[in-house]
Amino acid sequence: MIFLDYVPDWSVVTDRWRQFAEGAWVDVWVAALGFGLACAVGLANAILRTSGVSVFSVPSFLYVQVMRGVPLYVMILWVYFGIANVLGINFTSFQAMIIALTLTGSGYTTEIFRAGLGAIDRGQMEAARSIGLSRARTYAHVILPQAFRIVVPPLGNTFIGLFKGATLMSVIAVPDMVFLANELNVTLFTPFEVFTAVAVILVVLVFVFSILVYVLERRLRIAT
Amino acid sequence: MTMFLTYSFDWSVIWKSVPFFERGIAITLRITVLSIIFSLVLGLVVALARMAPGPIGLIGFAYVQVFRALSLYVYILFLYFGLALVLGIDLDPVTAGIVALTLLNSAYMAEIYRAAIQAIDPGQREAARSLGLGTVGTFVTVVFPQAWRIALPSLVNQFTDIIKDSAVVALIGASDLMHQTIERVSFYQRPFEFYTAVAVIYLVMVVIVAQLATRLEKRLQRHLA
Repeated sequence: MIFLDYVPDWSVVTDRWRQFAEGAWVDVWVAALGFGLACAVGLANAILRTSGVSVFSVPSFLYVQVMRGVPLYVMILWVYFGIANVLGINFTSFQAMIIALTLTGSGYTTEIFRAGLGAIDRGQMEAARSIGLSRARTYAHVILPQAFRIVVPPLGNTFIGLFKGATLMSVIAVPDMVFLANELNVTLFTPFEVFTAVAVILVVLVFVFSILVYVLERRLRIAT
Repeated sequence: MTMFLTYSFDWSVIWKSVPFFERGIAITLRITVLSIIFSLVLGLVVALARMAPGPIGLIGFAYVQVFRALSLYVYILFLYFGLALVLGIDLDPVTAGIVALTLLNSAYMAEIYRAAIQAIDPGQREAARSLGLGTVGTFVTVVFPQAWRIALPSLVNQFTDIIKDSAVVALIGASDLMHQTIERVSFYQRPFEFYTAVAVIYLVMVVIVAQLATRLEKRLQRHLA
């Protein structure tokens, strides 16, 4: 057995479980913040896109194509080095990562919200307007609560995708769990142990998030 | 607006770098195409395993759950540094990238295949079996040709993710499009121009493939209209 040649020493990981947990937490909250912002941008964008006014809907369409078509890795470097250079702003690596996740994520969330809003019968808007609700109130009280149920499952999947993408943050030196693993690998030369640890943490967290999405989806389902 | 004025754009560096982009695109395409072929095949095998009863089904399920959950960067680090040490094999960056992309995407594609196969009316299978076709014969001549049509647009959409994800191989030094770009950035110190240019190149590749998916979908579903 080739495996027998190598005896893994897991103490590298177990002695530092706290650091790994802290690193994983950075991945989670950065992804969550990026996702939250991506939802806000995506919702606004979807409303513009479904407005029927081409001055809004055409740029919104192009925005979606661009954000979904550019790799996250390119986006991160573009924000952190490119935009920073042009605008003369120095983003912290955290800020750059969150902006990149928001940009990429909003491409996906726009399409999800658009589909969600599109699934609500036109008659609902007309009915709400005819009984005197303003456009904004119709959205807030009639359209969005119904669309919300539809968008939760795909949004959950988008979050999981962004969370996986967030593991790239160490490329601009955000100290997440991959950053920690890379550092340990360089100093202690234990690539197998540290990267296995990262992989296991990732699989477990994605599994937990999938279950949460599933539970939320079931609770929101309207009994038929 | 004043802050824009302090930066003077120089797009000429992009034109000077065209040969580097070409070389990079060739490697990116090689990685992408090979990963697509391998994951299309492996994905089908996993889908069939997943639908089998007993322990094989369980293995298929575990494969999909685990291999779908990892990000490409973590895959690459694990394969290129971790597994290489344990197994004593020296993967080159391109191969490591192809293996990583194949493992990740075969898990996604397995789910696409499974959904498509399950969308075929069980009556078709029963009819084929009652006509005397074997299990394999039924699958090859009746179920799969129909499932393939349903699965193809989603599979092609998955190709766009492979193109985008492949950029990560630059991190272990495969001289793909992204790596060439990063090298040009450090040469010219023009991050905005180069990352914008490479974003456009990836975007064009993705849009071409996405268009293909839309056309295929229309074409394959013409008979249903």
